[in-house]
Amino acid sequence: MGAMLVGAFVCAHTPQLLARPDTEDRELVLRVHAAFARVKRRLEALRPDAIAIVAGDHIEAFFLNAVPALAVYVGAECAGSFGRYRYRFPVHEPLARAIVEQGIERGFDLLYTQEAPLDYAFYVPLHFTMPAPAVPIVPLHVNVYLPPQPTPRRCHEWGRALGEILRARPERVVLMASGGMSHFPGTDRYASPEFDWDRRVLEQLGQGRGLELAALTGEELDKAGNIELRTWITLLGAVGDARALVYCYEPSWHHGNAVVEWPL
Amino acid sequence: MAAVTPESSAHYHFPPAAAYRLNRCLFALKSDDAFRARYVADPDGAMRALGLDEADQAALRGGDRDDLVARGAHPYLVFMADLRLRMDRGTTTFEYF
Repeated sequence: MGAMLVGAFVCAHTPQLLARPDTEDRELVLRVHAAFARVKRRLEALRPDAIAIVAGDHIEAFFLNAVPALAVYVGAECAGSFGRYRYRFPVHEPLARAIVEQGIERGFDLLYTQEAPLDYAFYVPLHFTMPAPAVPIVPLHVNVYLPPQPTPRRCHEWGRALGEILRARPERVVLMASGGMSHFPGTDRYASPEFDWDRRVLEQLGQGRGLELAALTGEELDKAGNIELRTWITLLGAVGDARALVYCYEPSWHHGNAVVEWPL
Repeated sequence: MAAVTPESSAHYHFPPAAAYRLNRCLFALKSDDAFRARYVADPDGAMRALGLDEADQAALRGGDRDDLVARGAHPYLVFMADLRLRMDRGTTTFEYF
């Protein structure tokens, strides 16, 4: 047994991909959807028993009453809503519990919750990529929006431990990270993301140089509009020096939309 | 509550405790459908119910992002509270996938 981490993907999750306002280029949105469809076909072929999905909470599951750096959702199911959309996913509870228990055993002081709304960072990618019947998920939170956030190095270390935990499991698990690339929601930089920075990172990842991202500082991520790259860096800890296969990189007027697979 | 000077040049800085009620109200506008409906019907009553002082109420009523952020509001909460209000009010056309 072992090596049951069967797939690794990152998906953009901007809500304009789900509810497209007239400010968005329809053709661009559809090209990102096509990349999501490719992920869905891969998931159908990989036949995972669970999808462990790493996302940055958009101040939805957690507010200022409790701000965990790293958290695991360990309920029977999870649910979230966005306007007319209502989502409910089964949670792979044994896997979620194993991640918490073994993560803590390995020195990561994880928060866990059995009741928290599901953020759109989780369900926007799943809306487009979830096979039928639905595969149970394990929502894994990384704090990206409420400083102080975990350092990229810590995210990478957590991802490496997570990868070891997943590879030792009997289930076939796909690891998905949600988020990125460059965007500055709510700031005066909203219309000027750092697309060149994104492209350099994608080139690095295509060469299997993901470890280099662990050396970035939080300040560098913030300046590049890539605070959410912490979810990618977590995944990179798990996939090691595997080379990224970029399905799409679609820069919109406010967002670098990327969909990527790491063939394992 | 007095205006807050950001502690760093980061786009998302530490949310000051003095702005807790303002951020809680923005959080409710973003994530609580019932509160948002109440706010649309009676903004002053909804803001008072969450304990916002006069200056914060005026800033939220004015809807100026820079003003709200200067008061300690989290930029993402300002952004998404506004989007959710627009979705509810139907003031923007959306294509739903």
